[in-house]
Amino acid sequence: MSGRYLLRRTGLILYTLLVVSVLVFGITQVLPADAATMLLGENATPEQLAAIRERLGLNDPIWTQYLRWLGGVVTGDFGTSMRTGLPVLPQIAEALSRSLLLAALSIGLMLVLALPLGILAAVRRGRPVDLLVSLASYVGISLPEFVTATLAILVFADWLGWLPPTGYVPLTEDPARSLLHLILPVATISLILVAHVSRMVRSELVDALHTDYVRAARLKGLPERVVLRRHALRNALLPTITIVALDVGYVLGGIIVVEEIFAIPGIGRTLIVAVQNRDLPMIQAGALVMAATYCIANFLADLAYAALDRRIQYG
Amino acid sequence: MTAVLEVADYTLDYATRQGPVRALEDVSLSIARGEVVGLVGESGSGKTSLAWAIMRYLAPNAIERGGTLRLSGTDLRALKPAGLTAIRGKRLGMVFQDPSTSLNPTLTLGRQITEVLEFHRGLSPADAVREAEAMFARVGLRDPAAMMRRYPHEASGGEKQRVVIATAFACRPECILFDEPTTALDVVTARQILDLFRELQAETGVASLYISHDLAVVSGLAQRVAVIHQGRIVEQGATRAVFGAPQAEYTRALLAAVPRPDVRLTETVPQPGPPLVAVQDMTVRYGRPSLFRRRARGVIGASAVTLDVRAGEILGIVGESGSGKSTLARALTGLAAFEGGLAFEGRPIGGVRAMDRAYRRQVQIVFQHPDSSLNPRQRIREILARPSRLYGGEGDVGALLQSVSLPADFADRFPHQLSGGQKQRVAIARAFAPRPKLVICDEVTSSLDVSVQASVIRLLVELQRSSGAAYLFITHDINLVRQIAHRIAVMQRGQLVETITAEDLATRGPQHAYTAQLLAAVPRLDIGETPDDA
Repeated sequence: MSGRYLLRRTGLILYTLLVVSVLVFGITQVLPADAATMLLGENATPEQLAAIRERLGLNDPIWTQYLRWLGGVVTGDFGTSMRTGLPVLPQIAEALSRSLLLAALSIGLMLVLALPLGILAAVRRGRPVDLLVSLASYVGISLPEFVTATLAILVFADWLGWLPPTGYVPLTEDPARSLLHLILPVATISLILVAHVSRMVRSELVDALHTDYVRAARLKGLPERVVLRRHALRNALLPTITIVALDVGYVLGGIIVVEEIFAIPGIGRTLIVAVQNRDLPMIQAGALVMAATYCIANFLADLAYAALDRRIQYG
Repeated sequence: MTAVLEVADYTLDYATRQGPVRALEDVSLSIARGEVVGLVGESGSGKTSLAWAIMRYLAPNAIERGGTLRLSGTDLRALKPAGLTAIRGKRLGMVFQDPSTSLNPTLTLGRQITEVLEFHRGLSPADAVREAEAMFARVGLRDPAAMMRRYPHEASGGEKQRVVIATAFACRPECILFDEPTTALDVVTARQILDLFRELQAETGVASLYISHDLAVVSGLAQRVAVIHQGRIVEQGATRAVFGAPQAEYTRALLAAVPRPDVRLTETVPQPGPPLVAVQDMTVRYGRPSLFRRRARGVIGASAVTLDVRAGEILGIVGESGSGKSTLARALTGLAAFEGGLAFEGRPIGGVRAMDRAYRRQVQIVFQHPDSSLNPRQRIREILARPSRLYGGEGDVGALLQSVSLPADFADRFPHQLSGGQKQRVAIARAFAPRPKLVICDEVTSSLDVSVQASVIRLLVELQRSSGAAYLFITHDINLVRQIAHRIAVMQRGQLVETITAEDLATRGPQHAYTAQLLAAVPRLDIGETPDDA
């Protein structure tokens, strides 16, 4: 992997984001009712509308508006929210930090659970443990997160009363209560991830255990745990990394639903509120940030892949 | 002589849905210290099953019906997993067929030998590295220290097999099983590996079981040989005796099937007149043009090749893998874009796009693996009728099958219901369906057993005689090509180094150094001399 590759890859990410920015800007332009109508409400007089359009530059050609917006984005100015009248960037950043905490905990939990489960199922292939893990994964994959979330609230908050049903407490304010509030949302998101990834780990590991080089390692007289760890697992984890990176895309989508159900003011909820209020600058910034997150996650996955498999040469 | 490895009355079944299938029956075999025993048989004969049984690595559906397996007195069948790990790799080693799949792609070559040294000989990591480097040097790897840090994809096939051999010898085992260790390698590389094997074996005196389908290789290595057929050892004894005066019918058939360059199979002569195919300075580049670079940087597959094929001529093309022989086939059939001139029956063909239906009809190809070139979901009838109809043939599937000596009722079968040799016959019938003038045979017999190979070759020679088609016969087997080709073209690294008639090659010998090298590398079936002189 060369510096040139890193540079080119970063360039590609920027290019992707540029395309995304065109799409995002384009879509918000197609929406019925422009920023002026939204600001003034439906009862505004045509004179008022014309005045504010003039002030906001809405009469300029569309590419001028786009370039003005893009120029702002590049310099860190995402505009002001039409709903609150405050700058977009700090709001997005704060919402994103909450969502990232939720996502990081979910992905962390997924790694802690999915790897051992997948390995166990692969090593005990065809035995009861394998069947149990497979069955649980199927259930996990088949349940949409709004079902699991609702069930979880019903059972753990309503019936048992162990956990708070909804709400968000900042980590800095009260760490214990903050984590308590995060348990159900994190569990909801990781359930599908664990199900998905553990199945992937299982099938990849089963394949790896049947390769010639694993056979060769066994016939070299290495103990089974060394064969498993050094020879099979390493190769089985490679495709899993790609899957995890793709799952980040799922998390970004799933988080919107989960944040809405558990009333967590993260990026997902911010986006929903923005869409409901036609808060154009907020929608644009939110969509762009999500696309960037996805690009970066896949980039990191590629780097991890190359570090584990030396056959991959980026350059 | 006390036996190091002793197999006595060993019988093995595999449980299948149709009931148990016998894989090995009453197999008895012993190998003394310093001895090489060859185990010769075709695919499905049970030779590899025996290796797995000795290594105690049997498939879950294997059922051992009886017999003993002993390594210097240790009863291998009685070993528990812990005892087994202590024996495998330490007292009993194995060298596999394909070094590119038996080495872990994500570990360095060095790591794959040091782990054995650390585990079995208890060496410290630093000592293991030192010892491994010494082993690498011993097996003839240049720059052992650098090789230690390389990954399998950074080494050649020969280098990888040297690493596998070094690993097998690392703990000075009493016995090593060699399962077709040169089959996946090129002729010249295979020769070097065989020489290395001979050297190490003499030096260490390790008892060796050398499993191979190649009688010529075994005849040059083994003191004793066992011939296995359908799970039974049909004949066993001193190599010279078995190959020189075979007793079993099967051994005689096997020996008769080995290609002998001095026995000509083709009687036809090419037609005089202008060439059927004229290739002028043909170059093929591989690699895709990227988004930003229009012209592919490209690896050169074939470089400025000039040759011609006459009507009714069999032109053999030999060379190692990567020499460009298949690239040429791909270019001539329009599977790869080429630069340079091509003329068919005097008509210039400017490029892949200029290959019209008439050209494609007259130039047919038979591939190496019928398994991947026949559609598994089509019946033989559909496979054969389609090209026949497409090119305006009469579409008589029965007659086509008959022409390749297959029963007409095979038309309703699927490819998986046929054996490898039968499938290849179907592929040949398909190529002949549109009555082509040139048939390209790309390693058509390489994946077949010796005896099947011989019958497929006889068929091809017969078809050539009756149809008058010209062949471009691509193979790595120079003995085979000397039997059937009128002229032989030798390729090396994408270039045509020599074109010589079979007759000149036989009488005057090779003109180019590389042809000489290829010829020297081919193992000869020697029956007259003792193996040590080979």
